[in-house]
Amino acid sequence: MLLQFDYVKPKSIAETIGLLVQHGSSSAIKAGGTDLIVWMKKHLIKPEIVIDITGIAELSGVSFYPHKGLRIGANATINQVLANREVKRSFPAIYEACLSHSDRLIRNKATFVGNVTGGVPSADLVPSLCCYDAVVHIAGPDGERDVPILEFITGPRRTVLSKEELVTHIYVPHIEAQAAGCYVKLARRNALDLAQASVACVVVDKQNGKDFRISCGAVAPKPIRALEAEKYLKGTKTLDETAIRNAADKVTESVNPITDVRATREYRLDMIRELTIKALATCIEGLRGGRMS
Amino acid sequence: MSEIKVNFILNGRATTYVGEPRTTLLRALRAHGVTSVKRGCEEGECGTCTVLVDGVPMKSCMMLLPEVEGKSVITSEGLVGSNGELHPIQKAFIEEGAIQCGFCTPGMIMSVYALLNENPDPSDEDIKEALSGNLCRCTGYVSIIRAVKKAAAMMRE
Repeated sequence: MLLQFDYVKPKSIAETIGLLVQHGSSSAIKAGGTDLIVWMKKHLIKPEIVIDITGIAELSGVSFYPHKGLRIGANATINQVLANREVKRSFPAIYEACLSHSDRLIRNKATFVGNVTGGVPSADLVPSLCCYDAVVHIAGPDGERDVPILEFITGPRRTVLSKEELVTHIYVPHIEAQAAGCYVKLARRNALDLAQASVACVVVDKQNGKDFRISCGAVAPKPIRALEAEKYLKGTKTLDETAIRNAADKVTESVNPITDVRATREYRLDMIRELTIKALATCIEGLRGGRMS
Repeated sequence: MSEIKVNFILNGRATTYVGEPRTTLLRALRAHGVTSVKRGCEEGECGTCTVLVDGVPMKSCMMLLPEVEGKSVITSEGLVGSNGELHPIQKAFIEEGAIQCGFCTPGMIMSVYALLNENPDPSDEDIKEALSGNLCRCTGYVSIIRAVKKAAAMMRE
């Protein structure tokens, strides 16, 4: 049973910030609630007041603006993101990450932004967002600020958000070139399982060569981009099997997994290598097949 | 920490529940005798508490009572006709033996109802995806998929 709390449903961002300023750490923001309710049930989070933001119209919706990018409101559910055609077409790594998240029913309630603000290292949507250089928009009593996704999460379940701030939306810039992307996840079962390890990969086919972006999930305390591997791949003339293997080795060198109930450190390192090989091969094949982004 | 009044439509009828905000929709429904909605894991994993909220399948253990204010909630009871006639999905589950202990059945039926509203002729893959959030611990998935196909055929007629 949940502990007692007061429930409020503000109608605007300003009203929400007013409540956050007033109640601070004794409050909790609820959008989908699929994470919050579980933690409250275990009495690991004990808010005296739950602020339900689902009544705020400005926080809803998934919109795509040509030449600019994708805006995902704080209240958009993961299934709403999946239903946007432009996500599948232009941001395949996000599309695949959404599909790998929980199950169909939970995705009707769980919000996209909630997976990010939770700040857990195994969060499925974060590695893809890192590859697309997503930006988190925050509103607070001192105004608004934008934080790149790589800086937003600072450690397990920790973010740069203060107790008086709220994420209003996530913005994903559009890639003005042909690109391929994918999200490869390893878990014990397909539905409803947290990642043991995961890799998101985006390859952009620019006029002056290919750009590689690789990010890993569940293998570091905070989101990372495998910059050494990206640099190596950019400078490689022929993308053969050896090059991909070398890049995969560099990716494993850039992560620092722990042993926990889902997998050991050693297993995670081995799997990151394999997942990277798979992800790179999929993207290169996708570009050859003219998979547009 | 006072009690709140929540107005919503339950299986087509205007309903008012009074409860604390911490009451989940699952617990509120069961306390009012809507016992087709099962309390399984209560952590959003098992899907035995699945209901439709404004036509969308949801796990009711992951929903606070005040969240359904002004919304329409349908449970397996709501699929039964006024003269007690079972819905084709419910009939198909019985006819195909898609029930062993029966605990997961009402939740499965609500997920299937939502699926067939969207997709009247689903493939095996579509069915598996739609039921990915509903666990059956008697491992009766094969007969469940058969029942969904039979229900789909009955409903297309």
